Parts: sequence; structure tokens; C-alpha cells
Amino acid sequence: MTSVTDTLPATAAAPAPRGRFWYPYLLIAPSMITLTVVSLIPFLYTVYLSFHAAKFGRVTEFIGFDNYLQLLGDGRFWNSMGVAAIFVGIAVPIEFMLGLAGALVLNQNVRGRSVLIPLLFMPTMMAPIVVGLLWKIMLAGSWGFLSYNVLERFNLIGETSAFASPDLALYALIFVDIWQWTPFMMLAFFAGLQALPLGPYRAAAVDGANPLQMFFHITLPMLTPLLVVIGLLRFIDAFKVFDTVYILTGGGPGTATETPSILANKMTFEFWNIGEASALAVLVWLAFFAFCNVFYQVAKKRLNAF
Amino acid sequence: MTTKWCLAAAMAASAVLWSAGVYADDASFYAEAAKPYKGVTIRVLDEITPLQETLSKIVPDFEKETGIKVEWELLNHFEVINKGQADMLSGRGYYDAVMLHGFQLGPMISAGVIRPLDDMVGNPKLANPNLNTSDFIQQPFKTAAFANGKQYSFINWNYNQVYWARADLLNDPGEQAAFKAKYGYDLAPAKTIEQMRDIAEFFTRKKGAMLAGNPLESDFYGIVLEGIKGGSTFPTLWGNLIKNFGGDLIDANGKPNFDTPQTVAALKMWRELWTFAPPGIAEYSLVDVPTVMGNGIAAQSIAWSDFVLGIDKPGVSPFAGKFVYGPIPVKAGSTAKRSAEAEPSVTVISAASKSPEATFLFLEWLADKKQQDKLITLGSGGVPIRASSWALPAIAGSANKTLYTAMESTLEVAVAKPKMPKFYEIYDVMSGIAQEVGLGKLTPEAGAKKGQAEMVKLCADKCLL
Repeated sequence: MTSVTDTLPATAAAPAPRGRFWYPYLLIAPSMITLTVVSLIPFLYTVYLSFHAAKFGRVTEFIGFDNYLQLLGDGRFWNSMGVAAIFVGIAVPIEFMLGLAGALVLNQNVRGRSVLIPLLFMPTMMAPIVVGLLWKIMLAGSWGFLSYNVLERFNLIGETSAFASPDLALYALIFVDIWQWTPFMMLAFFAGLQALPLGPYRAAAVDGANPLQMFFHITLPMLTPLLVVIGLLRFIDAFKVFDTVYILTGGGPGTATETPSILANKMTFEFWNIGEASALAVLVWLAFFAFCNVFYQVAKKRLNAF
Repeated sequence: MTTKWCLAAAMAASAVLWSAGVYADDASFYAEAAKPYKGVTIRVLDEITPLQETLSKIVPDFEKETGIKVEWELLNHFEVINKGQADMLSGRGYYDAVMLHGFQLGPMISAGVIRPLDDMVGNPKLANPNLNTSDFIQQPFKTAAFANGKQYSFINWNYNQVYWARADLLNDPGEQAAFKAKYGYDLAPAKTIEQMRDIAEFFTRKKGAMLAGNPLESDFYGIVLEGIKGGSTFPTLWGNLIKNFGGDLIDANGKPNFDTPQTVAALKMWRELWTFAPPGIAEYSLVDVPTVMGNGIAAQSIAWSDFVLGIDKPGVSPFAGKFVYGPIPVKAGSTAKRSAEAEPSVTVISAASKSPEATFLFLEWLADKKQQDKLITLGSGGVPIRASSWALPAIAGSANKTLYTAMESTLEVAVAKPKMPKFYEIYDVMSGIAQEVGLGKLTPEAGAKKGQAEMVKLCADKCLL
């Protein structure tokens, strides 16, 4: 009589020794612990705070959705979301287009490319606080290098003070963001272009395809995953903008440039309404979570990006 | 005559000997009182202005006198607020004492993070009998240091605003004649808000125009004011215009009272003054205002006097010595109580301090006449917290007499901000409204209405502690 084990196919793997089973978990444990400590616990605590009355750093009572209702009924919250939407809606597409165009130019073996790339990367490498100070010096009213010493002195534009104007301040901030982040997009897309295989291009050339056809039928489809990921990352990052706004306008004039991050900072460190500020953080996170999920599905189904 | 001189000399000598005696008593008092705390280290957080830089030279004397070590940290206006409050509210007690501006007291007292001093003030082992609190300039002291019948501090800094103008322009014969021809009265430092407005309009000129006989290389402005979101933009408007027009934020019962005709009139004036200011006014902070005045692109301003002290000196501004100062202008013909913006400020003991007694001794020592006299002398002037300081040679004999006259005038009526738990929220909204009205984005009427609605939303019908 043969045993069951005798009939098992020879290809079946023998069970791993007990020690080997834990090995992968042991390897990823340090990073998982770190991630839990620095991300998950603070996030869960933020959610906890958002359901409590927390004023002046003291958590008192559970108040359910009161902080959320208070926030959703506050025009200032919606104003901040609107400001961020305009900021992202204008800055990110422009950065995207300029970045892609620049990357395509760089990909054409431009002379001096090795010098150009590090130079282009400079604005992105600067700390946002430095970018803020730099543009303050450039565009300040009455003494700014660009606004006063160039535009006004030569009578090109009169009385420029972009950051002091409720109509212009947000657009000035968008301009600064474009200046800072377009090179990053350009270099990311350029790296993607450099990694594309040459085979399809050679085949297309044999078939007589023109550059425009090659771009739309080869480059763009192959680059789509990268474009989607970089675009999404930049969208999230732009929505959270804080440093440059804080330095250049502080959210003013009035509330013309008050983004959710600036409002959350004020609520936390000026008004000490920590419960409401936590609710704001959770709402913004939920909005991102929903948006990113929808975006992922669309990108997957319609663009074959993933 | 000789007898008179002898008498005067004898009196002066006895005064010196008496004060030396008092000072010696004080020194021995602190040395004695500090014995149980010898070797203790206390941490104090204060704001950095030209005044504190001078004070830093005096702090080591306390260590020598008492054996209590002081870690003295100075941060800028915004950082001292954020870091100081964060530490107090966290309950960690890293700092034993934190400097608070008057406007911070409401929120901080309501949060229960300031240690009241009454028990220590009443303790003969800690309270110096020669402190002489009646010598403090009373109104700032009484309104800043006390709340709801408790004493929370002494007085440390009497920040105050003054009217500041270019004397060389006001005294120019050509400008004087032109001004008189246009407005019908003599050109001089503004005594009323309306005069300040006329001077602002008169001196606002484009590049290429003449100013005091010389062609302008760039645009020149009639006035510069603080206009940044935050800072002291709203207090400048509130303390100097709204109150002088007879308006206020709240009524006597603490109820929101912003949409009055007086406030609307003050906001109209505020808007008008902004039209004669540099285009970047909405970006100007309390530091930028004196800088702009020092650079010579504006004819007049209302500024914090402690910053003026840092600008109006040779080597700092090319116009040093060419400035004139005055009391904050009042509304012409107004029967309202005179008002001038000031920020009496204090250093409080954190409720979480582990060494409150040693910290109390330090705060008391700082407020002592001996230290205050030394502070004024070392700084060749300063901003007094004691009435007796006005008579000190560094002030009485100062070349900048008009500045001290202006300061004294402001401090006569200076009051600390009302103790409002929601001051920050109110202030943030109001400073936005001040900007929008100044820039012409909101009408004064709409600004007053919006301000009232926001205040009602924030504190219903009681904004005070």
C-alpha cells in the first residue's frame, strides 16, 4: 500500500522550515514599525482629536461630528478649498505642459544639455522658505528688484505690488509655484523619455510616421504611467502648499490666498482650536483619498496607465 | 545765591545717598530672598527689540546678586508668541517665564496656563517692600498685570506708538508756503487725524516732481502704515483711529459693537490714508514701517517707538536727526476719550514652572527701579515702565526730546488689550477686514458690518473673560 505522500507530484515544494517563514516579516519589521510610529499613530490621533473638543491643547469631551459640522458651515473653510482649487487648477496643468514640452526639447540632444540640466534643477532644489524670500525680494512693492527696479522704473507697469493686491496675490503665488516646480516636471519626464525603448520608433520610421504621429502614437502611450504618477504627486503637493504662501502673503490680503494648510496652521497655532483643525485635516485627507481612488480607476481603465 | 547752590548741592547729595541706600537695601533683599534658591536655573523667553538687547547686559547682575542662573532667550515678535504659547499650553514648563503681549493675556488666562502672583506678592520673604509699584506708569500696569481681581505679572514693556514725521520737510519754507496756500493753515506735525490726512495728501508725489526744492528720483508717499495680515495692523487702526473717532470693538459690557457710524467714519479715514501710502502697504509689517521711514520714501507715519529708537540714530538712517515726533493725532472736535495705541506687555510665570519663587524674584528684580534706571541709562534712553524714569538724564537730556514727549503722551492713555479669550480669532478676522477696506476691496460700511457679524459669530454677546 502506498502512502498519500508517495503519490504527491515530485514538483510540490516541501514546507519551509519554521524559521524561514518569519524571515521576510523580520526584514520588513523595522520599516513597518517606523511607518506606524511616524504616520499611522499621528493620523489616528488626528482622527481622535477631530471628534473631541480640544481647545488650547487640552482634550476635553467627545463631541461627535460637531467639529466637522462647524467647519462645513464655515465660509472660510470653503474659501480655503476654493483658493487651493484655483491654485492647483492653474499651476499644475501649466507645469505639466511646460514640463512635458521642455522634456521633449531636452530629449533632442540639445547642445549644452549637461550644463542645462543642473541649472534647471536649481529652483526645485531650493528650500521653499528660500523661494519665498527670493520672490519677496523680487516682487515686493516699493522696493522689489523686479517690481520696482525694473517694471516701475522703466514705466512698464505702475505701482506694482502683486502680493499686496487681493486680485493679483494668488496669481503671483501661482507664478512662483510654476517657476519652482516646472523644472522638476521637466526632468522627471525627461528621465522617462530617456528610458523609452528605441525599437518602436525605428519601426515607425520605417513605416514613414512623422514626428507628430510618433509622439501621439508611441511616446504618449508609453509615457502615460509616468505622466499620471508625476501629475498626481504634483497635484497632491500643490494642494498642500504652505511655505511659500506663509512667507509671501500669510494667507492675505484678507483671505485671498488662504489655503487649507494656512488655515489649519492658523487654527492650530494661533486660535488653538485643535479639534477643528484636526477635522479640517481629516476632511482634506478624505477628499484626497476619494479623488486619488477615482483618478486611479480612470487612469487604469481609460488610459491604461497601471 | 551761594546759599541756594549749597542747599541744592546738599539736597542732591542726600538724594544720591538715599537712593544708594535704597539700592543697597534692594540688593541685600534679593540676595537674602534668593538664598533658598541658590544654584537654581530658570529659563526666560523674551522678545527681541532694541530694548531687550540692552536688558541682556543687565541680566548677569541678577545671577551675581542671587546665585540664581538665568537662561535668557530672545526671539522675534512672531516666534516669541508661537513658541512661548506652545510651551505654556503644552504644560511642559520648559520656560519658567514667558513674555506675553497684552493681547495674549485673555487667551492664556482663559487656558489657565499663567500662575497668579498674589501668594508671592503677599509673601514678605519674596516681596520687596521697596519695589514701589505706585511708581509704575499706572494705567498700563493696572490694565496689563491684573485680571479678575488677580495679579498675573508686573509690567515689563510699555510698547507704544507715536506719530513720526520728517521735520526737514515740514520745516521747508517752500513746502510750508505751498501747504498754507492749499489748506489754509500752517504746516506742522499733525495734531489731528484730519491734519495727518492733509499732510499725507500734500506730500504724495510722483517721480520727477519737486520735494523741498529737489527733484524726486522715485515716487514719494505722504504716509506709511502697517498693513500686513497679522502683526499690529488692526491694533493701529483700532487704537489710533476707531477709538479716537468714538468707536470700539465692544461696548462696556463686552458685547460686539463694531458697526457703529463712528467705526464707519474711522474706516473711511483708514481707506483714505492708504491711498497716500506706498503700493506695498499691505505687505508692510511693524518692522517694515520704520525701515521705510528710515529710507526716506514717506513723509509721516505712526510707528512703535521702540523700533524708532533703532532707526533714528546716526549710521542707521541718512535722515537721523531730521525726524520729529508727536502724540498720536486725535479726531478734530471729538469729545471721545483720547486714545493712542500701545501694547503694555508683561512677563508671566508659566503654571508649569518648577521654580516659581526664583522666577518671581527675577521678575520683581527686573521691575525694580535700580534695574529700570540702569536699563534706560545703558540704552541712552528707552521706553519707561516707571514714571520716575522720565526724569532720568538719558531721557530728560535726550537730543530726541519730541520722541519722549510723544511716548509720555501715549503712555498717559495707554491701556492693555481687553482680556478676550477669542482675541486671536477676532484679531485675525479684523486684520483681514482692515486690509480689504484699506485696499478698497470692501467699503467702510461693508467692513463694519462684516466685522460685527464675525464678532457675533465668534463670541455671541460676551467677548470678555
